[in-house]
Amino acid sequence: MVRSVAERAYLPTRNLLEEIGDMMILTGRTISSALRPPYPYGGEFVSQFLFALRLCWFPLLISTVCICYAAPGLQAANFLTIFGALDRLGGFFVLGAVREIGPSVTAIVVAGVAGTAITADLGARKVREELDALQVLGVDPVKNLVVPRFLALMVVTGLFDIYALLFGIFGGIIAELVNSQPLGPFWNTLFANASTTDLWGSVLKTTIYGAIIAIVCCYKGMSASGGAEGVGRAVNEAVVLAFTAIFSFDYVFTQTLLATHPQILVIK
Amino acid sequence: MAVTEPGKPPHEGEEEFPFHSGEIRPSSSPDAIEFVDVHKSFGRNHVLRGLNMALPEDQISMILGPSGTGKSVCIKHIVGLLYPDEGDVIVHGHSIPSLRDADLFDLRKKFGVLFQDGALFGSMNLYDNVAFPLRQHTEKGEEEIAEIVNLRLSEVGLSAANEKMPNELSGGMRKRAGFARALVLEPDIVLFDEPDSGLDPVRTALLCELIKEVHAENGGCYVVITHDIMSARRVAEHISVLWKGRIVESGPAEELFASENPFVRQFLSGESAGPLGME
Repeated sequence: MVRSVAERAYLPTRNLLEEIGDMMILTGRTISSALRPPYPYGGEFVSQFLFALRLCWFPLLISTVCICYAAPGLQAANFLTIFGALDRLGGFFVLGAVREIGPSVTAIVVAGVAGTAITADLGARKVREELDALQVLGVDPVKNLVVPRFLALMVVTGLFDIYALLFGIFGGIIAELVNSQPLGPFWNTLFANASTTDLWGSVLKTTIYGAIIAIVCCYKGMSASGGAEGVGRAVNEAVVLAFTAIFSFDYVFTQTLLATHPQILVIK
Repeated sequence: MAVTEPGKPPHEGEEEFPFHSGEIRPSSSPDAIEFVDVHKSFGRNHVLRGLNMALPEDQISMILGPSGTGKSVCIKHIVGLLYPDEGDVIVHGHSIPSLRDADLFDLRKKFGVLFQDGALFGSMNLYDNVAFPLRQHTEKGEEEIAEIVNLRLSEVGLSAANEKMPNELSGGMRKRAGFARALVLEPDIVLFDEPDSGLDPVRTALLCELIKEVHAENGGCYVVITHDIMSARRVAEHISVLWKGRIVESGPAEELFASENPFVRQFLSGESAGPLGME
């Protein structure tokens, strides 16, 4: 009984650790392929960048406005009203929207929309043996397929973060207006608490989210097997793994940022 | 490759391999590809179990065997898409598992591979698919490339379809297009993974004729994986019969067709009675 339970736990754990190890190796190969000449991935980079931009801009716009209006907007406003401190909503938006919600919603939308498309595309190519054919024709799939997606998702996710912050703050403005508040105090507390550290921290974190999404989604696509069903399974696993990796990394990054920049702990 | 003495099974006492004499009859050409005691498993599924096989230079070799015996896995080992768990795969004197990535990519320029479903690139039309290896590996101008591509496409009867995308083609057309792409660089080693599957008997016969013609023209080591005995009779110069991840018998085609081994005899005559059942 104990042995059977141990065996059941051992195999999935070993597989997971193997996958994480393989993804680390893929990350290393991707970075070294990106830096080492030749650089044949320019065209594919532009095409993947525009592809992610086209797919994600609208879902991201709706998601950030709605979640920032609902969560730090309406919910926090209800709470602050008790203390007659609705003017503090701007400061709260720095903590909520700039540091956490903006990057997280960006990562969720990019992983869910562009990341899954990447997994499905590479997975379909894998099961049709296109990736094998590329390798046999002397084309390195890491350099030609993974590197451009890796760079494109990093750049697009970093830029989308700024876009998400702008529309997230717009959600906060709606919340203020719904509560019949003037916008002056909102801007005042927002800029009093916002710092350049918040901005670069948010953009850097989101850029790394883009790298994580690209590696997980490319890896899952390139290791898909078992026909159409296998591709579907790969997409599902890619989303689950990407979200888990992103939120785990968020904890590590936030803890490190707060520890190394204690001034941003002070709420003004 | 060492020649095993006929009648002396190398795996005596292993009940799973009663018909595996492992006999490798000498061939008139030197070996282009060698498998040396190759083992390969996928999880608990042991696909290759001590495979020793040699495929001669300048001949059309066929690897024959029932489904699921590891024939396609062999091709992936030859081009370095899979590595053996144990043993070695040697191509033109290079040990494939020991090559560095850059050297392996270089060596792969010697190969042409026809995959089971053609493996055409979905984002390119037929013409660009066939032109891809020429653009990737040669300095030829577009005019010269067009001449070669059109010739190859007309050889496989697809000259009218060169603007079509792979998803607009039937399975047989995709296979023929993959064939044209595999041969476009006139490679030293050409590997065909079940070129006859999904083709009607007439097109299978024509494809076999084309393989023979192109081989007579260019030479090199051609390896065809199939379980179609008619195709084997048409084109094979050398045959290796594979079962349960090991060679049953291997040698010149005419000697294999006259083999006394009950498994080889049953398989090459396509009879239902014999040691090979449905299991």
